[in-house]
Amino acid sequence: MKLRKTAALLTAAFLLLTGIKAVIPVSADTERHTFTVGFDAEFPPYGYQDESGEYVGFDLSLADEVCKRRGWALNKVPIEWNSKDMELKTGAIDCIWNGFTINGRENDYTWTVPYVDNSQVAIVRADSDIQVLSDLFGKIVAVQTDSSALAAFTGEDAEESNIALAKTFRELRQVGDYNSAFMNLESGAVDVICMDIGVANYEIKARGGKFRMLDEHISSEEYGVGFLKGNTELRDEVQETLFEMLDDGAFARIAADWELTDCVCLTRESAAPAETPKEAESVDETEKNGTSLANICIQLLRGVGASLAIFFLTLLFALPLGLLIAFGRMSRFKPLSALVKLYISVVRGTPLMLQLLVVFFGPYYLFRVSTPPGYRFWAVIIGFTLNYAAYFAEIYRSGIQAVPVGQHEACAILGYSGTQKFFRIIFPQMTKNILPSVTNEVITLVKDTSLAFAISYTEMFTLAKQVAAAQATILPLFIAGVFYYVFNFIVAFVMERIEKKLSYFR
Amino acid sequence: MNLLEVKNLKKSFGDLEVLKNISMEVGEGEVVSILGPSGSGKSTFLRCISMLETIDGGSLVYCGKQAVSEQDGKPVYVPKSELQEIRHSFGLVFQNFNLFPHYSVLKNITDAPIRVLKRDKAEVMKEAEALLKKMGLADKGSFYPYQLSGGQQQRVAIARALAMKPKMLFFDEPTSALDPELTAEILKVLKELAKEKMTMLIVTHEIGFARSVSDHVVFMDGGVIVEQGDPRDVIDNPSNERTRAFLKKMEQ
Repeated sequence: MKLRKTAALLTAAFLLLTGIKAVIPVSADTERHTFTVGFDAEFPPYGYQDESGEYVGFDLSLADEVCKRRGWALNKVPIEWNSKDMELKTGAIDCIWNGFTINGRENDYTWTVPYVDNSQVAIVRADSDIQVLSDLFGKIVAVQTDSSALAAFTGEDAEESNIALAKTFRELRQVGDYNSAFMNLESGAVDVICMDIGVANYEIKARGGKFRMLDEHISSEEYGVGFLKGNTELRDEVQETLFEMLDDGAFARIAADWELTDCVCLTRESAAPAETPKEAESVDETEKNGTSLANICIQLLRGVGASLAIFFLTLLFALPLGLLIAFGRMSRFKPLSALVKLYISVVRGTPLMLQLLVVFFGPYYLFRVSTPPGYRFWAVIIGFTLNYAAYFAEIYRSGIQAVPVGQHEACAILGYSGTQKFFRIIFPQMTKNILPSVTNEVITLVKDTSLAFAISYTEMFTLAKQVAAAQATILPLFIAGVFYYVFNFIVAFVMERIEKKLSYFR
Repeated sequence: MNLLEVKNLKKSFGDLEVLKNISMEVGEGEVVSILGPSGSGKSTFLRCISMLETIDGGSLVYCGKQAVSEQDGKPVYVPKSELQEIRHSFGLVFQNFNLFPHYSVLKNITDAPIRVLKRDKAEVMKEAEALLKKMGLADKGSFYPYQLSGGQQQRVAIARALAMKPKMLFFDEPTSALDPELTAEILKVLKELAKEKMTMLIVTHEIGFARSVSDHVVFMDGGVIVEQGDPRDVIDNPSNERTRAFLKKMEQ
């Protein structure tokens, strides 16, 4: 699946930022109670969300079994794939267990032995005239950004024949996720999708016969569980348990549950070849039928709470903080105003997404402080608050400076103190001045809450994407759109009411 | 007793010397008008003695209390707390009224006495209503400034200044933003105040008004006092060429 390029870039950015070389955190956890698995929640059947909102998948079932046998509590953490290395290094997760390709990453992680042999295959529309790989001549081929399929065509270790094949494509197009890839394929925008076989099987089945797979495979690769480089202790524990499961048939049973019997490859020299029970229960078709509107809405509801929490807490903290920052900005004490000016300039000049990453990963990379499990949420709030406070500060400043000088002079003549002048005379007039700009910011905030995905905080939009990927439908994204629109409709209504309330003076 | 004593006042904006050595006294119950062409420094003078601008030289005494004294050629202000006390001895009425737009007429008048002077609210309200009645605005107490004409707004501003019970009132071109009809309203109020022996220092372009109401007229030009004295002398028989030129221009 996705390769390390983006992650490496981000990591590099952090190392540059901190000027510190990352080190392996000491594993002080001798008495392990929990086992935290990081996974991409948009990667069925290895890890995704089922209809009830539970994170499930082949890899998570394996991890669950391992934890049961070890007496650990399993902690499933859906992560933003690009941040996986940082998650691992900060100790936020113990391993990456998620259809994680070993090939090309052999030296980047401490690996278990491979347990899945995953080939790269080509998917076409059921009615397509493409039969073999050579038919791809002159076609538009889609792959996921940073995916193994992309690497198979253009990577450093790509096979000569694949590089040659790729040259015959009309276009090799990269898409963000498989859901949009299938939307592209179905609509005819692309002719072929190249992807991992396990995912391909799942998607073809979930999408009900509209697509088929070519018999000829592009390449093959192997999946393993990736641990922080050097963490052989934990790797050995997990691997030993996997072997136990292999010996007593549990591994084969879980593979069969997920219809991955054809691609599992876990062996140890002493272990007997895995038995493949033929009468494995197949996934019930009706279970997949969770795409009904009500069902999706219920699933998204959990994300709505998270989005609302981000929205209200950000306003709660950023509105007052912005006022303090505005005072700092207007301070006659030059060092303070210069410092605040720099802060505003940096916050407004860099993406909020990057700021969230800095807030979340910064404590570790800058100060070597491990962050508690609940920090992910607070990192979102802190990031949003610092960002929005800067914008609010500038809005306040403009509103304060728009109050005529005569008002200040009248206050001086009448003998108002500085505090009285601000709260009694300036603040009410400022509030009226800035309402339209504040409304704009607040509406932007509603939509910006979706950026929390940057540090893998599961709010509404992230959830919608996950559900869309798991159920192979665009309906959740549409519902998400409706949610944001309705939310903003209410915001606009409330702000209009406030404006009307303040229209008693001019 | 002199309520205001200004000695050798100097004020510059950068290299521009706006006020060059101005001295003036205003006695209790006196009405003093300051005339002069635009740019003569008369408004700056009023802002300096209202302490909206800090002065660059000279001394200021209000009701016998020293606010600024000249030491080694530099003006030295007394501490802030004392200045605050001295500030309450005068009021200022602005050319643009500068009412608080978010407060009703009544609140514009009563807020400072209640919040700044910490006076009894009921008493202040009673006084404010009397002031409004005097200004012919008895029924406008609950209005907001934008609902009033310019003349009405300026009368509220005068009431607001009077509510602080100052010893003297400064007026900075109080009718310049008003058309002739509304100007008459304001001048009528000022004449009434003069009759009540309110001490006033008025920067104005209304020559006729200055002649009829003032005890003393000051003609300023180029940052200096060119001529001053009894209005009949200064306005009707000016001795200075610049005063004559200005008055002739105003007649046209």
